[in-house]
Amino acid sequence: MHYTRGHITFSRPGTCIIAKMAAVACRGVRTVLGKSAGTSILTHQSAKFSTLREMATARKAVLAAMGVVGGGAAGLAYALNQSVKASDLELHTVKFPWSHDGVFSSLDHASIRRGYEVYKNVCAACHSMKYIAFRNLVGVSHTEAEAKDEAMGVQIDDGPDDEGMMFKRPGKLSDYFPNPYPNDEAARAANNGALPPDLSYITSARHGGENYIFSLLTGYCDPPAGVTVREGLYYNPYFVGGAIGMAQALYNEVMEYSDGTPATASQMAKDVSVFLKWAAEPEHDDRKRMALKAIMMFSMLFTITYYIKRHKWAVLKSRKIAYKPPQ
Amino acid sequence: MLSYLSRSAHLAPALKSTAQAVANGTKNIIPGVYEGVVVELVQPPPKALTAYTMAKRCATGPVRASAGIAVSSQVRYAHTDIQVPDFSDYRRDDVKDSRAKSSVESASSRRSFTYMVVGGGVVTGLYTAKSIVTQFVSSMSASADVLALAKIEIKLDDIPEGKSVTFKWRGKPLFVKHRTDEEIETETSVDVGSLRDPEADSVRCQDPKWLVVVGVCTHLGCVPIADAGDFGGYYCPCHGSHYDSSGRIRKGPAPLNLEVPTYVFPEDGVLLVG
Amino acid sequence: MAGAISRVYQNIFRRTSTFILAAVGGAFMFERGFDLLTEGIYDNINQGKLWKHVKHRYGQASLEDEEEE
Repeated sequence: MHYTRGHITFSRPGTCIIAKMAAVACRGVRTVLGKSAGTSILTHQSAKFSTLREMATARKAVLAAMGVVGGGAAGLAYALNQSVKASDLELHTVKFPWSHDGVFSSLDHASIRRGYEVYKNVCAACHSMKYIAFRNLVGVSHTEAEAKDEAMGVQIDDGPDDEGMMFKRPGKLSDYFPNPYPNDEAARAANNGALPPDLSYITSARHGGENYIFSLLTGYCDPPAGVTVREGLYYNPYFVGGAIGMAQALYNEVMEYSDGTPATASQMAKDVSVFLKWAAEPEHDDRKRMALKAIMMFSMLFTITYYIKRHKWAVLKSRKIAYKPPQ
Repeated sequence: MLSYLSRSAHLAPALKSTAQAVANGTKNIIPGVYEGVVVELVQPPPKALTAYTMAKRCATGPVRASAGIAVSSQVRYAHTDIQVPDFSDYRRDDVKDSRAKSSVESASSRRSFTYMVVGGGVVTGLYTAKSIVTQFVSSMSASADVLALAKIEIKLDDIPEGKSVTFKWRGKPLFVKHRTDEEIETETSVDVGSLRDPEADSVRCQDPKWLVVVGVCTHLGCVPIADAGDFGGYYCPCHGSHYDSSGRIRKGPAPLNLEVPTYVFPEDGVLLVG
Repeated sequence: MAGAISRVYQNIFRRTSTFILAAVGGAFMFERGFDLLTEGIYDNINQGKLWKHVKHRYGQASLEDEEEE
């Protein structure tokens, strides 16, 4: 029996048409047809192909037991891991409504620029950002001329010169942000043994990312009753262990924004968080732009592919092959 | 051969109803009459297990259906007991109504639509392929930090007249010489034909006041000494090559003039090399 | 309408060479159009946040003096 798009064609009228067509069609599925004489092959195909039916009961039992034991072990490991995680007494950060939260939402570049000012005036006294160069600011938060001016404002070690001596020179666009300390040991010595981490990738390096940075910067408070903090350390509930080597750095009006935004502590914390987010993910905006393009493009391609598939398969789908065994 | 001997199961219908045979397509149904001891050898129809045996059971050649008083036949067509499925999901609106106009009329519009969709697929596919290819190819180009170091910007105001200053550029020394009027005059008046590597001074210097050359001796790669040598330009201490104030080889083993990099003066007093 | 479709079909789609040519030519136009469209949508979503939207506030003016908004 052979139907094609509504035209019914009998290839051979005759008494045994069914058997004939089945014989032609059954080359691919002959075992099924051979076994299933008398039942409808169309409804029980999957059962015929399954190997589970033929498996010994003992084997099934062993496999099931292995599955249960394996799943249980994985669950136990997960639970144990979670219990370890819950042991610390730090406060977990909440999720703040950042303006770059959306799937297609870019970073706020005015905020990046203010955040750079905060970093330059406050954070850079102790924290390095050795993977960010002044040229990275161009077209993100500064024009080329402004970025050059920013670079000129710092002294960069260079050399050796003709006499083999290192010398200082004004920075260039290709220079990276200067390190406030010559090396880690000097940084520790100047900070009571605590090493101020490099901030280049800090939002990617901490759980909670920019939320954590914001919470940490604004979360300083007096230690609760029963908690004593060692001399030279400060209490911050968002820091692991609660005692942090960094003193509260952001207070209202600790600096002034060049664009006139009121420099409240939370404003500065928010701006520097956005700046650090950009520093860790400079591709952030491009990534979301590409996501928009890719989603639109692939939904188009999917629709087209689906249409072509249906078009090509229509011939195969609109036929029915039936087998009626001889009585 | 034993199995071919009168299998009662297969013979039963023939034995039972001599007057009525159903022509169901199997071979050798012989309306037989049992006559005592005569044993008819009948080849049993093969069991329908494989495509081959099923094909064996099918009628071959023109199918005959005989009818008569003695022999009644029954011809059964498939469409009486198999339901025709509904395929309208796979058919286009233009051809769904079989009573309507001929499908030929709408053929070109139907095909056009499909070709249009396929064309759209080609277009979007090309765009995607181009984006992916450019992405991978551009990853082979120099990275931004290398490009940032590939150019050097020099403030010319810092270089006094008559002095040659050395900069580091792409790991090589770069000589920038602020030439005096005398030096300019000397170099422009040199007979180009008399040089080992003939090059006019105007070709080597965009601005006659400034000579910009890579400070690597063309002989064996030493770094020449500035403002030295017999011709007032550069002198290579390794094997005694003398270059003039235009960086041209005048005396010694070096075969070529000092290399002039690509450079521009983007604004007054600024030199951009690279 | 039907005439235009069949004309397009007869002149472009029927022949593989013209079909490919039309598709490649269309790809160039599509690239431009699609890029403009997506950039437009993206800029619209992020109105006032991208560098090109805030750039005019800085630049030359801020170099001379502190700009007051």
